[in-house]
Amino acid sequence: MYFAGVDIGSTMTKVVIMDEAVLACVIGPTGAEHRRLANKVMEEALRQANLSFDEISYVVATGYGRISVPFADKQITEITCHAKGVSSLFPTVHTAIDIGGQDAKGIKIADGRVVGFVMNDKCAAGTGRFLEVIADDLGLRLEEMGELSLNSKNRVEISSTCTVFAAQEVVSRIAEGTPIEDVLAGLHEAIASRVFRMVERLKIERDVVVTGGVAKNIGVVKALEEHAGFPVLVPEEPLLTGAVGAALLGKELTLNALESGRPIERGARRLEEATFFK
Amino acid sequence: MAFFAGIDVGSVTTKVVITRDSELTAYHLVPSGANYKMAAQKAMEEVLAKAGLSLKDIACIVATGYGASNADFATLQVTDISCCAKGVNHLFPSVRTVIDVGGQASKVIRVNEEGRSTNFVVSERCAAGSGRFLQIIARVLQIELGDVGPLSLQAKKPVIYTTSCAVFGESEAISRIAEGTPKEDILAGVHNAMALKIYSLISGVGLEEDCAIAGGGALDVGLIKRLEEKLGVHLLVPPQPQIMAALGAALMAEERSLALAS
Repeated sequence: MYFAGVDIGSTMTKVVIMDEAVLACVIGPTGAEHRRLANKVMEEALRQANLSFDEISYVVATGYGRISVPFADKQITEITCHAKGVSSLFPTVHTAIDIGGQDAKGIKIADGRVVGFVMNDKCAAGTGRFLEVIADDLGLRLEEMGELSLNSKNRVEISSTCTVFAAQEVVSRIAEGTPIEDVLAGLHEAIASRVFRMVERLKIERDVVVTGGVAKNIGVVKALEEHAGFPVLVPEEPLLTGAVGAALLGKELTLNALESGRPIERGARRLEEATFFK
Repeated sequence: MAFFAGIDVGSVTTKVVITRDSELTAYHLVPSGANYKMAAQKAMEEVLAKAGLSLKDIACIVATGYGASNADFATLQVTDISCCAKGVNHLFPSVRTVIDVGGQASKVIRVNEEGRSTNFVVSERCAAGSGRFLQIIARVLQIELGDVGPLSLQAKKPVIYTTSCAVFGESEAISRIAEGTPKEDILAGVHNAMALKIYSLISGVGLEEDCAIAGGGALDVGLIKRLEEKLGVHLLVPPQPQIMAALGAALMAEERSLALAS
């Protein structure tokens, strides 16, 4: 039997297909303005797994755009899916920090279950958007920011909280001749300290895993470790934990139903464009 | 009778005022740009030229605003809170609450009968309550800042903004444009979001009538309308709302000179 997890984030859609093992995982754009590309990512994952859509026993959708997806049997919140995903990858994890394109979350996990969570989706500071806006202004690629910042000898302190004002501060720092790596290190510290202060409300317990797109930025990960005072775990593919969790939860639901002889509750799913804002 | 000057070096615009006998003689605005020192110098030179005066005709200069220290020709510095209170009180003695919407910060200032500020609250950590938010949205909609207000007044169905962050607000505006939402409805939505942000700021100091609005935000009729709806009060608008702190600074310069003379 095959199971799929679809995590539709504000920027990227992630799809995982698995049976006993992961057969395909694909990350593609959700679609910047029309946000209708999620189905393309699913099609690509099916192609890679060499399966047809009807061969998938159960599809669970999660993430910001989960409600609008017509190709899922069930929607489960990203908090639950993330917790499931990281616990399956790292059974020792008790705290997950997820920094995505549009929000940041802290999840407290015990026995693979969510026992607490905090979230910021009200303000771009402390989310991936903060780095995105500044990378745009500086003409840098997001991926190079982390590595570059590791060369910093003299980290700049970014005094603005607001992304708009911080971007302005960065531009004037660079105009003054401050080395870019020192400015970037300052930005990474700014986002790390903001996220860390929020997650601290959960009383952080080891092990800690960092996921989401920003986990690919080594500068932010190092800054988070500085705050924590110990190393954190980062999955090989930090964008996929939500989708992995979604697929696993679908598998659990299906197997539990089969075991107890109950029918499997399915959605009227169709593999077509997601319609947002309707 | 001597002349006095007040210069307000703001994050976006530098404003300078010359007064004589507590009356406005001349005023001038220049963009602050990247070099506040040059902006302050230029503003001063140009206002003097306008008034047909030279620097030695000015008995005392008070500098205020975010970049006040860059006006090195000033006699002293006074906070923009005190200056704004003073300036508004000069025009509207009955005003007890001033809402100042600037390029980078919004302030609510409580003012007493003598034109002194008794309490204030500043939002400078977030662009969403400031003129910056409007600037960002105007750029996205490709319209002039001056057209924002009149256009917003034509809104039939203001967009309900789910965010109070200028960055997320920008993305939301882009999505709305893609959906075909009319510009005026997006603008009115932004004005509502800003009004809400300012409203929550006011709860820190309380609102007492009469109320006035100052700063560049007071040039935006759309923002004024939404603020008046949200606050349930009428807002008095000075004829040149941007120069209130500079005017107050010039009046402070006069006061100080009189105090020294007596």
